Amino acid sequence: MSKQGRRHGSGSTGGLLILLWDEEAGAQRLNCTVAAAGSWCSGVEIKALQLDLKGRMFPHVSPSLEPDPEDLIPFTELHGSLRLLLSFQMKDARHWPSDWQSDVEAVLQAFSLANAGIQIHLKLKFAQKTSVRDFRAKIKAKVSRADQPPLLLDVSCPEQKRWFLSKPHGWAKRASWCQGGHPVDGGRLPLGIPPQAMDGGLLGDLSVRLVTLLHPCVLQYPNMPTELKSIKVLVYNPCNIPVSGPSGFFQTLPSSMDCQHLGLRGLQCPAHKDPEFRVGTVFTTEQWENEKKCDDEEQESSHLPVQQSLLLFLLLQHRNPFCSHLSDFVAADMLIEHHLEEILCNNKPAVMAAIRTEIGNAMKAQNQRKKQQEKLNSAAEVILSSTMSIVSCSSNVDFRNACFDLMKVADTHALSSHLGESLRRVMSWRFLPVGRCYSTQMEENLLHHGSTKSEI
Amino acid sequence: MESGSTQFFFLIDKLRIQLLNSIEGATEKDYFQEEISPFDSGVGLQMSSGHSVTTVKSNCLASVTKFAQILKILSVIYRLVQSNSYATKRDVYYNNTQLFGSQRSVDTIVDDISCMLKVSRRALHVMATSKGLIAGDLCYLEEDGTRIDCRSSSAAVSVSSNVSGIRNIVSSAKFVMIVEKDATFQTLLNDDFCRKLSPCIMITGKGVPDVNSRLMVKKLWDTLQIPIFALVDADPHGFEIMCIYKYGSVAMSFEAHSLTVPSVMWLGLLPSDLQRLMVPKRSLLPLTRRDENKLNSLLKRPYFASQPQWQKEMELMQQSKVKAEIQSLADIAPDFLTSIYLPNKLRYGGWL
Repeated sequence: MSKQGRRHGSGSTGGLLILLWDEEAGAQRLNCTVAAAGSWCSGVEIKALQLDLKGRMFPHVSPSLEPDPEDLIPFTELHGSLRLLLSFQMKDARHWPSDWQSDVEAVLQAFSLANAGIQIHLKLKFAQKTSVRDFRAKIKAKVSRADQPPLLLDVSCPEQKRWFLSKPHGWAKRASWCQGGHPVDGGRLPLGIPPQAMDGGLLGDLSVRLVTLLHPCVLQYPNMPTELKSIKVLVYNPCNIPVSGPSGFFQTLPSSMDCQHLGLRGLQCPAHKDPEFRVGTVFTTEQWENEKKCDDEEQESSHLPVQQSLLLFLLLQHRNPFCSHLSDFVAADMLIEHHLEEILCNNKPAVMAAIRTEIGNAMKAQNQRKKQQEKLNSAAEVILSSTMSIVSCSSNVDFRNACFDLMKVADTHALSSHLGESLRRVMSWRFLPVGRCYSTQMEENLLHHGSTKSEI
Repeated sequence: MESGSTQFFFLIDKLRIQLLNSIEGATEKDYFQEEISPFDSGVGLQMSSGHSVTTVKSNCLASVTKFAQILKILSVIYRLVQSNSYATKRDVYYNNTQLFGSQRSVDTIVDDISCMLKVSRRALHVMATSKGLIAGDLCYLEEDGTRIDCRSSSAAVSVSSNVSGIRNIVSSAKFVMIVEKDATFQTLLNDDFCRKLSPCIMITGKGVPDVNSRLMVKKLWDTLQIPIFALVDADPHGFEIMCIYKYGSVAMSFEAHSLTVPSVMWLGLLPSDLQRLMVPKRSLLPLTRRDENKLNSLLKRPYFASQPQWQKEMELMQQSKVKAEIQSLADIAPDFLTSIYLPNKLRYGGWL
């Protein structure tokens, strides 16, 4: 660790293993083992860390059994020798919420997003069942800035966000989908430490770094209209560990946003708890409806805008020249988490303005596409009416039949409908390759090697 | 000055014979070379076979509006051809001003369609609004049977908007004079030029000529086979206008064969005339930066390979760095243009 109180790892890759198991069926206590290996935890005094963590977090917990070595071998084979191994027992699992596993997975997923170099392995062995889940970034992007520590994000587009609208007939071979996103660094915002936090011992410089990520990426389809459907805010402590969002602070976000200025009708914070919403705060947007209603379902599917989600990372950063030991950093992080609501409220105008700017940038791109779409639609109407004027006025049977045959229709009414649909598909599906996009042609490589790009 | 004697037109008649001989002596190969080059002294500027193709896409934001405009104009043309009716470019523009934005858009697209379909604009049933005027010893019938007599001494006739439909041209004119500007044309009309130097025809395109004015000059040459002289200002712009009549424009190069009259002669105002006639210095204007740039550009054009005397005149202008309008001759004497300058030029062969 640097003597100047900065947090550095000598690398950001490796593995993290979470083992949860019960000794026997119906056991009341659940055992947990956390193991780490790889360069991301090098330079840390492991023994001191283990003692410190045990003392801080589990002072009254009985020591557990050691984990089954068979569970550790695959991990060490993949990531090298263990640098951290911590085991403990947890309280009565029978009183936990029924979906506690989903909560654990959600936290690990959020962790993986901001620590894409670390592969996370979760293994659950209880109630005579075993389940294994790996969290591994398929596509990584390094977000670098001169005055900021580098950040490795998982930018792969989630499965549920991928969209597979039907492609136009005979589409060009070069068309492909971008499988990832392109993070935008919103910069660093200094934060004032409120008096309560200072009294608690939190000193030094505190700031928050904002990074946004939009899914799915449609940069390669410049004519495709988009619609921002949801905004998810994830807060991370200075060690890049996701923290429970200060719900009180973020509940006021919708009222603090000038939605009209952003081009939105409103922002809402839904109450439901889908897996996606377990960590972080999620807002759904309300858009102004100005699309024509189509009777034809097939037509409607090709006209609908692509629904995008904005992921907003709030990465807290803390620097204290008097922090030199790992325990100091752990203590500072705990203080930050404890006083997070107060910290953000203390800096509310600046934080809200920064969030508004990031959302505004995403909306700007969407509004730009909307204007372009209007231009295309306006031109499409003229093209269609002019073409139909020629065909319907023609007295040349051969010419008319040739037109019908080409479009595989029987009469001018059907011709108009099919021609209009074809034209709109051609316009919407215009493909322009973008060098920084992660195209589908790379999928085979990604399966084996993954992909990392530097975005900034 | 009366011009009843044949002596006055002796050199003009001689010129006419030379021109006719040069036409008869030419083989088809001279006019229609196997390898079409961009410039042919017998035709003018023409579209080369290696021309570039522009693609207008319907799915590109930058070109989708143009794509729609082209389709719209094609549909208008289709209806016109089908109904055998005609419309001017102005009519087409007003059909949908919001779509087209400007008259220029319509003009450009109509020319593009004409080039793309390899037909004359007349075949598209879209006519240019004529702006030219004509006067002199000339009678003809319009396509609809209207009889046009250009011999009125006080008023000129507008150039027909359907030049290709003109028939039964009757004229005993010895020459045709193209006048660059309307102001000069009106001066000549007021001075009864056509009667004084009868029989003759004069025509103006009022600056850069429209297609109909060019078609009219071409038609007069094809029908009457008489010398055609250009009277333009002694400046780069005037010279360029003369070249449009003679060699054509890049924009209409695809129709060069129907628009150019390579036999056009430069009557005046020559840069050398300014010195020779001692035009007062107060009437001379310095060349602007733009004039100099245009002059440099003109000197690079392929015209001068076959016109060494023209090149000399332009180089003289470049050296003297002055220009003058035809109106500057009025500073010598009020009626100098019609009473002295033009009659002497025409009588003594003062053309290039």
